[in-house]
Amino acid sequence: MNIENTASQMRKGVLEFCILSVIKLGEAYPSDIIEKMKSANLNILEGTLYPLLTRLKNAELLTYRWVESNSGPPRKYFLLTEKGASFYKELETTWEELANAVATITGENGTIQNTTSTNNKNDQ
Amino acid sequence: MKKVININFQGRVVPIEETAFELLKQYTDSLRVYFANEEGRDEIINDIESRIGELFQERITKGSTCITDDDVNAIINNMGRPKDFADVDSDNDYVRPEASQPFSNTGTQNVFAKKLYRDANNKIFGGVCSGIAAYFGIEPIIVRLVFIFSGIGFLAYILLWAFVPSSTNLQNGVRKRLYRNPDDKLIAGVCSGIASYFNISVWVPRLLFIIPFISFFFRWGEFGPLTVPHFLSFSFSPGALIIYIILWMVIPEAKSTSEKLEMKGEKVDMNSIKNSVMEEMKDVQQRMSKMGKEARTVAAERSKTIGSELNYAARKTGRSLGDVIVFIVKAFGYFVIGCVALSLIIALFSLAVVSVGLFPLKAYLLNDGWQSAYAWGTLLFFIGIPVIGIITFIIRRIAKIKSKNNLMRWSFVALWLLGIFCFVSLLVSVSRDFKSSNTVREETVQLTAPGVNRLEVSTNSATNYYRSNRFLHFEPFANFDEDTAYVNNMRIRIVKSKNDSFNVSLIKVCNGRSRRYADTLADKMVYNINQVDSLLLLDKGIAINRQDKFRNQHVIVTIAVPVGKVINVNKKLSWRNSAHFSGPWNGQEWEWNNDWDDDEVDGWDNHYGQDLTMKTDGLYMLDGKRADKYWDNGTPRDDNEWDNDNNNNKTEIDSISGGGYRYDETQKTIDSLQIIKEKQLQKMKDSLKKVKDDIERSLEKLNNTKTPDQQAFTPPFHDRRLNFFLHI
Repeated sequence: MNIENTASQMRKGVLEFCILSVIKLGEAYPSDIIEKMKSANLNILEGTLYPLLTRLKNAELLTYRWVESNSGPPRKYFLLTEKGASFYKELETTWEELANAVATITGENGTIQNTTSTNNKNDQ
Repeated sequence: MKKVININFQGRVVPIEETAFELLKQYTDSLRVYFANEEGRDEIINDIESRIGELFQERITKGSTCITDDDVNAIINNMGRPKDFADVDSDNDYVRPEASQPFSNTGTQNVFAKKLYRDANNKIFGGVCSGIAAYFGIEPIIVRLVFIFSGIGFLAYILLWAFVPSSTNLQNGVRKRLYRNPDDKLIAGVCSGIASYFNISVWVPRLLFIIPFISFFFRWGEFGPLTVPHFLSFSFSPGALIIYIILWMVIPEAKSTSEKLEMKGEKVDMNSIKNSVMEEMKDVQQRMSKMGKEARTVAAERSKTIGSELNYAARKTGRSLGDVIVFIVKAFGYFVIGCVALSLIIALFSLAVVSVGLFPLKAYLLNDGWQSAYAWGTLLFFIGIPVIGIITFIIRRIAKIKSKNNLMRWSFVALWLLGIFCFVSLLVSVSRDFKSSNTVREETVQLTAPGVNRLEVSTNSATNYYRSNRFLHFEPFANFDEDTAYVNNMRIRIVKSKNDSFNVSLIKVCNGRSRRYADTLADKMVYNINQVDSLLLLDKGIAINRQDKFRNQHVIVTIAVPVGKVINVNKKLSWRNSAHFSGPWNGQEWEWNNDWDDDEVDGWDNHYGQDLTMKTDGLYMLDGKRADKYWDNGTPRDDNEWDNDNNNNKTEIDSISGGGYRYDETQKTIDSLQIIKEKQLQKMKDSLKKVKDDIERSLEKLNNTKTPDQQAFTPPFHDRRLNFFLHI
């Protein structure tokens, strides 16, 4: 039981939820997703993102379409399927419950968002 | 100064430094290994590559002339290396099937159970048991227990290990392979590769390899030229050295990053063996009862489904039943093939051991020059190459080493063909040297005292029974040193003398390239026979030197024993049953035959150290039993049971069977008829004797009460009657 292991477990849990929530906002290109997450201080390696996307796609939560690019071959843009949307809804409720529970237990006054971002900062 | 090459990378033409290209290639290889068990492996790697291509494009549009090492390293750092993924990715069983718990998702398991694989992820040794378990969807521990407690388990396990392909698609994880480690090497990195394969400290295998060398120096004196088992065993340093060299040859070096990753791999064995054994021992019982429950429920479900969903159930049970049959047939086939292969391999290896052991004798058999070269060629290529090849194959198979080393394969084949050529040439050339045999001449040996009553045949040559370290016994070579070898090709033949004194004669036989050469060689042969009083001393063997070579030299010593005198062949001569108590007892000439074994008769050879008396019809033991019909301890030989009343009625039989070992079939039948007749006659005689005794006894009773007159009358009467019976 070491700190890195626990921290990475925590991060891992929210990763898929974060990816789905980014994509929910609209069609997303993987590097855009990375950028979004970076700006929210949630650093992940690009190499980790692709397998996650592929797994989500294989689970029919995501789909993608090819978009012509002006510099080179077409690029893959990911978007949520209907199944993905309902999956996201469920995750969202779970997350809210969880975040509230954690906030109550730890006794912090901050909002849910603040809690997660500070946690993540500590993790890095 | 660096070389720049153009590559077509995901639909873009990218100018890239050669070293940078190597880095890139290693990186994608490592990804490929990491995602090897991932369902969408190609897609993931494609996505990553196209992203990398995009990043390359960016750099080039920014003004770089080409992609450099730094660029690639920066991109790789951005993307992350497999080891960086691991902490985010490990035990993420989001979509992946969980193979270690086949019961929790039997449905998924069936998808993977179509073919028998060894499970590389859930293994203790080779993953055979867990593979079989996954195939049937049962707990691996059950299969393991079956393997442990069944007799053929070990052999079957090895065979299945070698023949069943390995698969990792049942669970995530990096495969582990055996590589030589170039980063931490003393000679070739074999030891450190082994160390990282088993996850042990590098000094452990190193020490294991070095210990034999240390012991070698301490035990130098114990190794002779013939200590073949020592030579092959690991405790002898050349053995360790050979193993090291073979491993050096078969294990590829971990050159690229992906190979290095594979080399380190996941923690495979040492710990998991211990852990899993302990764990399994703990809850064997629990699992067994769980198994029982599961089996019951499964059976119940099955029968239910048969009732309700006929179509589906028929398909399903049909498949599983068919699978079982196919599996059994397959396993049996593998087993048979494996047994045949194993026996061939064992034969080959023992041939190798024997020929290595025989090799020092080469000088006594083969001419220098071509024959010697052929012998070396045969040993190294005809025998050595397959041995090395098989060892290589097995190690590669077990350690899952794959490389397309066609050069090695073809050079092996070519060398082996060369070996066959050497072997055939050697056979032809040697058989030519043995082609002719010499003219047989019988020399009479002058005896100093031919009139003795008892002659003891013995030897004064030193025997070599007390040599230690003789694991291998090469006939006909009994012993050899630097320049002389001794062969024990000597036979003693004992016959009946025609006059009243002992006569000894000697026949020398040998082969050669031509009759003339064989004659010369026979003349050169030295074989001494000396008589000292009643002792006849023979040489124990024939000395052969390096110049004259071994050409199947042998001698036949014929000792003619006069009737009424005693012969004793000393036990010293008994090695290889060289004495042959044969001979014409009835005056016929003994037919000399080059093939001694033809006229070898069982039962003759056990009368060493026993006084045997020559009579007109053969040799007799001291207690009057015939030497050819009794063992030396006095028990009759099986086929002579009928002949068990001391010589009373023997003469007529002996006249037929006594002389010979070479009588033909008709005589045999005549003999057997004679035997039957004799037996019946004997029976009749016995019963009549009994009757006679009874009558005599009752007569005697009567006589006690009767007058002397009557007594005088009766005996002639009953005698005549009995005589009549006896003559039928």
